[in-house]
Amino acid sequence: MADEEKPKIITPPNTLKSKVKTGGPGAVDEAALERAEAVIEGLTGSYLEWVQDDLKKLQAAFDQFVADNNAENLDKIFQISHDIKGQGGSFGYKLMTAVGNELCRFIEKTETVTPQTAEAIRLHVETLKIIIGRDLKGDGGKEGEALLVGLQQVSDKLLEG
Amino acid sequence: MPEIDIKKQKILIVEDNPHFRTLIQSILQALGVENIEEARDGAEAMEVLRGYDADLAILDWKMDGVDGIECVRRIRNDTESPNRFLPIIMLTGYTEESLMNEARNAGVNDFLGKPISAKSLLTRIISVLDQEFSYVETETYFGPDRRRQQFPHQGNDRRKEQMNFVKLKVYERMESRVG
Repeated sequence: MADEEKPKIITPPNTLKSKVKTGGPGAVDEAALERAEAVIEGLTGSYLEWVQDDLKKLQAAFDQFVADNNAENLDKIFQISHDIKGQGGSFGYKLMTAVGNELCRFIEKTETVTPQTAEAIRLHVETLKIIIGRDLKGDGGKEGEALLVGLQQVSDKLLEG
Repeated sequence: MPEIDIKKQKILIVEDNPHFRTLIQSILQALGVENIEEARDGAEAMEVLRGYDADLAILDWKMDGVDGIECVRRIRNDTESPNRFLPIIMLTGYTEESLMNEARNAGVNDFLGKPISAKSLLTRIISVLDQEFSYVETETYFGPDRRRQQFPHQGNDRRKEQMNFVKLKVYERMESRVG
């Protein structure tokens, strides 16, 4: 038994490091990093188009869920909000990430779908729309704080109830 | 940050969301990476890898079709896998311990939490390029030596998973300190 479980350690042929030059004219330095950050900044306009698409999909998924509140429709909402969560922060919309995260966590914690489930999801969807509609970048300041705290309180209450 | 030339690296992006693909590719190109391929899921990734000698794969976790975990398993375990030693960075918004363990047990080299930034992506790539991974083969596992793997603390992203507004502020402070 001991022999069977004895791990075999293998050192891979490392062709990777030989290609990784340190320093030199093509090295990634702070300037390259700044260029990359600028490229992301330049994609913000595209992000705002993408996220509008996501919000439309999210609304459609929510409407489907209201019509038929099965697990499949709930999962669609989760997937879209998960994408929204994953993208927002990259483009400076950290509140989108935060609210998307709240929605994902709410869905994960939902064991039984009740009429309040749809209401909580609706609030999250509306909040996401508000963030983009009002262009609340970063943490959104006091308005962002109020939105997020309010959402969490509602979600907690609905999950408890 | 060390000045590293990653220009010559062949990097495969496996991501089903076209917007994420655009974002990652744009960052890599801005960092000077010239040879990038894309795949929309794990099955397509395996196809691409048959004709593309990738140095590194950046995989999303959750994908329609063959997802990231299954793709890692195929890269590590398929008898016809083009490169079982391929360094793999897994992109994830999931940071639950059980899911992280699942990815580790599938054989990922490292994680990168979403949302990503140019700095977080570059830092993770350099981390993988800089490490001398030993691989382990047992009856049930093939992949990086998990006993010696030092996954970077996912603090920023893990906290983001659970963040309320106060945690968001803490995260920002941490990020600026790390950055």
